[in-house]
Amino acid sequence: MAKRVRAYVKLQIPAGKATPAPPIGPALGQHGVAIMNFVKEYNERTAAQTGQIIPVVITVYEDRSFSFVTKTPPAADLLRRAAGIDKGSNNPRTTKVATVTSDQIREIAELKMKDLNAVDMAGAVLQIEGTARSMGIEVA
Amino acid sequence: MTTSPTDDWLELAVEVHMEAVEPVSELFARYGFNEGVVIEEPYLQERDGDNVRVDTSRPVIIRTFLAAADADPAKLEEIRRGLFHLNQIRPVGELVITGRAEEDWAHTWKAFYQPVRVGRKVVVRPPWRDYEEAPGDVVVILDPGMAFGTGTHPTTRLAMMGLEAAITPGDTVLDVGTGSGVLAIAAAKLGAASVDANDIEPVAVRSARENVGRNDLTVAVRVEEGTAGADGPFPGTYSLVVANIIARVLIELVDGITTAVAPGGTLVLAGIIEGREADVIGAYAARGFTVTDRDQIEDWVGMTLRRAS
Repeated sequence: MAKRVRAYVKLQIPAGKATPAPPIGPALGQHGVAIMNFVKEYNERTAAQTGQIIPVVITVYEDRSFSFVTKTPPAADLLRRAAGIDKGSNNPRTTKVATVTSDQIREIAELKMKDLNAVDMAGAVLQIEGTARSMGIEVA
Repeated sequence: MTTSPTDDWLELAVEVHMEAVEPVSELFARYGFNEGVVIEEPYLQERDGDNVRVDTSRPVIIRTFLAAADADPAKLEEIRRGLFHLNQIRPVGELVITGRAEEDWAHTWKAFYQPVRVGRKVVVRPPWRDYEEAPGDVVVILDPGMAFGTGTHPTTRLAMMGLEAAITPGDTVLDVGTGSGVLAIAAAKLGAASVDANDIEPVAVRSARENVGRNDLTVAVRVEEGTAGADGPFPGTYSLVVANIIARVLIELVDGITTAVAPGGTLVLAGIIEGREADVIGAYAARGFTVTDRDQIEDWVGMTLRRAS
């Protein structure tokens, strides 16, 4: 079918816990997407990853049908876990909240590689390090 | 800030550079309802929907929602301060806060779906809507879901009109790339002796089967996963074949689709963007097919072809 796109939306939501409430309801409802179909499918497909944030990219077509693919957890989520913290720093330039090793950064970069717009592993590592810095996480 | 005391939700939105998406999303997830964040990346695509890709040269909009009752000024100030600090590292746009009323999100989308006349006779109606049939109407019940083919798109309308004009009672029909199953179901209701339908997407196959069931056609219509032709689930020949896909795929599948049409049989093609019409005709003419009818809605073309007997 000729699927011309009317919207391309990425959502970051906890695996297995999608609901029709915000942000999903307003983000998809405005495009006429059958929200409950999405919610049901997403929760089924991500049930095994409960406890993680699983981003999902939804493509809405002109006739309001849609498709979606799930992605690897956000780098920020993986960094928080690696650093053993609940949240990033409120003032990342001056307040450092944790330290991760370059091995941990590399591990995250490898896991995220397929979802990053990096040309090689060195580029992916730089992106993850950048995210770490902006959360007040130092790299040892 | 555009809000009023009756708002139930606050929508927070900010425009950021691609590289600031992760940290801003992390900040929003910390405060947003259900840790939810919406990331709107600008995209590029060709006119017929082929090759969708993210446009990394333009900024990204990030949104999150707070329950209004939960959004005290101190919390908003913390978010502002967080954005201010992130802005020291990479440019982050102005925070825009908009009030949103509570809605029954699970059902509001249904307003988009009304019974719709797709062809000259065929009317598609969602299961939750009534429709008073006029004489000659052929009603297809369709639950719009994930699979393409809700009936509202020009390509579906072109395919349906081609099908209506081409079908003769007793035809054996193959629907290539069935999506929601809308064409297959209509073919059965328009008098086909049997209908086979395939799609390479499992979601479409499931959706088409459900819709076939809704129309009590599980005997007449078979839906299977796979491609067209000898490598697919339906390697036989048919007196009428319909394929509403896109030009690139119609050309790629030309062997599979043309071998499915019996000698003297009819082929209805749709989903062809205006600029690719000649390419499609060329590919099918090379295999002995002649165009007998053509129609256009906006920049979409549909056509009927006959295979030499």
